[in-house]
Amino acid sequence: MILVVAEQRGGALNPATWETVAAAQQTGESITVALVGADVQKLAAELAAAEVAEVLAVEHDALEPYTPDGFVAALAQVMEKACPELVLFPHTYQTRDYAPALAARLGRVFIPDCIASKVRDGQRVFVRPMFQGKFMADVLPQGPAPHFASFQIGACRADACARGAAPAPVREAAVEIDAAAIRQRPEAPFKEAKQAVDLTQAERIVAVGRGIKGQEHLPVAQDLAKALDAELAASRPICDSGWLPMDRQIGSSGQTVAPKLYLAVGISGAIQHLVGMKGARTIVAVNKDADAPIFEVADYGIVGDLFEVVPAIMAALEGEA
Amino acid sequence: MALRRDLAGSRRETPEKADVERETLDVDVLVVGGGPAGLAAAYRLARLNEERGGEPLIVAVLEKARAAGAHMLSGAVLDPSALSELMPDWKSRGAPLDLPVRDDRIYFLTAGRALPFPITPPPLRNHGHYVISLNRLAKWLTEQVEAAGVDVFTGFAGTELLYEGDRVVGVRTGDRGIDRHGERKPAFEPGVDIRAKVTVLADGVRGNLTKTLIRRFSLDAGRSPQSYAIGIKELWDIDPQRLAAGSVIHTMGHPLRFEEFGGGFIYALPDGRLSVGFVAGLDYRDPLFDPHVAFQRFKRHPLVASLLAGGQMVRYGAKALPEGGWHALPRCHLDGALIVGDAAGFLNSMRLKGIHLAMRSGMHAADVAFRAVRENDVSAGRLSEYARLVEAGPIRRELYPVRNVHQSFAGGLLAGLLYSGMSLLTGGWWFRDPMPAHAGHERIRTVAKYFGGAAPPEPPSAPIDRELTFDRLTNVHYSGTRHDENQPSHLLVADTDICRTRCMEEYRNPCTRFCPANVYEIVDADAGEGKRLQINASNCVHCKTCDIMDPYQIIDWVPPEGGGGPSYEGM
Repeated sequence: MILVVAEQRGGALNPATWETVAAAQQTGESITVALVGADVQKLAAELAAAEVAEVLAVEHDALEPYTPDGFVAALAQVMEKACPELVLFPHTYQTRDYAPALAARLGRVFIPDCIASKVRDGQRVFVRPMFQGKFMADVLPQGPAPHFASFQIGACRADACARGAAPAPVREAAVEIDAAAIRQRPEAPFKEAKQAVDLTQAERIVAVGRGIKGQEHLPVAQDLAKALDAELAASRPICDSGWLPMDRQIGSSGQTVAPKLYLAVGISGAIQHLVGMKGARTIVAVNKDADAPIFEVADYGIVGDLFEVVPAIMAALEGEA
Repeated sequence: MALRRDLAGSRRETPEKADVERETLDVDVLVVGGGPAGLAAAYRLARLNEERGGEPLIVAVLEKARAAGAHMLSGAVLDPSALSELMPDWKSRGAPLDLPVRDDRIYFLTAGRALPFPITPPPLRNHGHYVISLNRLAKWLTEQVEAAGVDVFTGFAGTELLYEGDRVVGVRTGDRGIDRHGERKPAFEPGVDIRAKVTVLADGVRGNLTKTLIRRFSLDAGRSPQSYAIGIKELWDIDPQRLAAGSVIHTMGHPLRFEEFGGGFIYALPDGRLSVGFVAGLDYRDPLFDPHVAFQRFKRHPLVASLLAGGQMVRYGAKALPEGGWHALPRCHLDGALIVGDAAGFLNSMRLKGIHLAMRSGMHAADVAFRAVRENDVSAGRLSEYARLVEAGPIRRELYPVRNVHQSFAGGLLAGLLYSGMSLLTGGWWFRDPMPAHAGHERIRTVAKYFGGAAPPEPPSAPIDRELTFDRLTNVHYSGTRHDENQPSHLLVADTDICRTRCMEEYRNPCTRFCPANVYEIVDADAGEGKRLQINASNCVHCKTCDIMDPYQIIDWVPPEGGGGPSYEGM
């Protein structure tokens, strides 16, 4: 018998569960699916639509929210009773979190991140990529059953999961969990706020380069950007020095932009920078060196010290306002 | 006097955290480096598996470039002798050797003129040789090797040797997903331990693993110090009428002075593509010498400029090459390991050729490794058969007679030419044999010494027009070099204080000149006071010149995250 450990969170099944059931179906063995949580009857019924022998609803109040200690304790008890030959998991972050501990608790081998299994010389082997997928290894599990394996997401297709003619029986599997023995106290899940600037969407960009000389002079460019309602960007040396974050870098190792206006201040225009901005509609360049390559792509060029030219532009903008 | 520092202290620490679980892979023979030497070794091993029968040896090749051949750079004119022995049917297998050399010319350049040599000296006659792209040759060889059943892992650099006692038992590949502060990124993936019965080091000129091996076991004891040169090359597209495909031109003289070793080359590929390059000895005395500027000045010479005018530069690259020859070869066999190709220094500097010798050394190493693994004895004693094959075979036949040629150029161009000419008659004999030699970084003089206390001139420069001549940064763009920006610098400078204090005073930071990729820059210190060294590691084209030529020997080149580096398509 193969035990597939399903995954759910907040009343929804992780779709990778269906892929793992499909992987189990390909072996032709009898399949039991275990679903762990506090109130999983509804989802268990959903799972019962698959062509499997049985669905186990492993319920306990201490199993919600997810904790590695709780899941290890619950699944260890399920396995003792069910005695599967093989346990399959979807290779999710949650599986990666607790399955190694479960395998260690039971003294079994765990073969993570598989993409297929097959029978070779009468023994089941698991195929997993090495060297970032350049090489496939056939892994033969050692030691007593059950063996554990997790399947990479996408290794099987969820729609390859066969449906049964009639729903499979759902059975409650009672487990005893000592809530006090759970050492983890999960906080509410959160998503890291994504605050990276998307310069590709900016209509106007003021980009600053080495000519600015020092971080303390950055406000010169910042003020100009503000006055023009433009995003501030930079050439590589500025970001390399840490004066501006790397997500403001324009060029071959940064972003490629095509704003309506690109004002390059103190940028000589190395080709690595040009490839990132030469698509701009209007390019204005301010640079001390009349031979600087930036002037080859600029529509308007001002040869001069940016510390004189930029204040003059600012004054002109204010006069206009 | 050069200050020597213990580099062991500067190596990038790889703190082995308890939670790192490494994959291991066991093979019989591991070849580190997918260049001509490594690929020849791998191919030969696959053939031996087939010919000898029995349980086949498991062979794997590691290559740090993302794509096969992407870090390969050479002139190149190929002597096909080794390839023909390795693979007699190379023609029907579609080897990219489709352009025989049609004529050889040599010029001595003065500032404004090109004086043709009346005859081409025998070592430079290329009849029966081919003008090739080493990048394409390596790509094709990789296909042959893979088809023969060998796994070639591209994008993986060998960063450490694995030992059992003093026996080499394999290589650890570099960790992936480390950020610039040395912390793990979400995609962290520890390197893999590849354990092998025999490790064939084909990590190229100044190979990072071979270097540590030579130090650890003093493999160069009693040998002449290795000397090097740097080759800088561009591919150009020009009007095909200007120079017939298969033409080979070599130059001496301008822009080099008599005291500097080197010269230019122009090889005409099909369809108006030109391989234009310049080789400069990394044993110059003048601390202000600049190989990149020398290359620009070479292109501005009327002979070259008239060929390139109106054309377009399409690719750029640079690579060091070993010039020391026979006397500078280290011991190349030790417990569990063999050293082949440029890593050892199998290059004939008189014929300006090394690819065929690299392949030949790889083939010898394969023969020996195969027998040693079968006999279950991979001790240095058993593997010393490699040295005997080198001694008894074509490698010594070719390298021994020219063993003092490069060294003779230490006395200047004229002395070198005189000796080289004479050696053709004497078989390389000299009063002192080996002719004394010094490592390049020991020959470079301080500014004060070189200019005798007089005010030194400005470092040499060449006008940059971005049509014929280019600045380093533009050139780097054309090398196709890419590295993940968010990773630790792979150029370890043991003490950057020396850069802004002693070196600035004594040598005027020669790293800013000998590096062909603008990796090293001296910039204003953040506080606005004084200067500091800035390392633009992601510009690095993996030429190894800094590791070789830095006068204080405080720069250590280690591999960046696998896959990073140039992309020498067609080079």
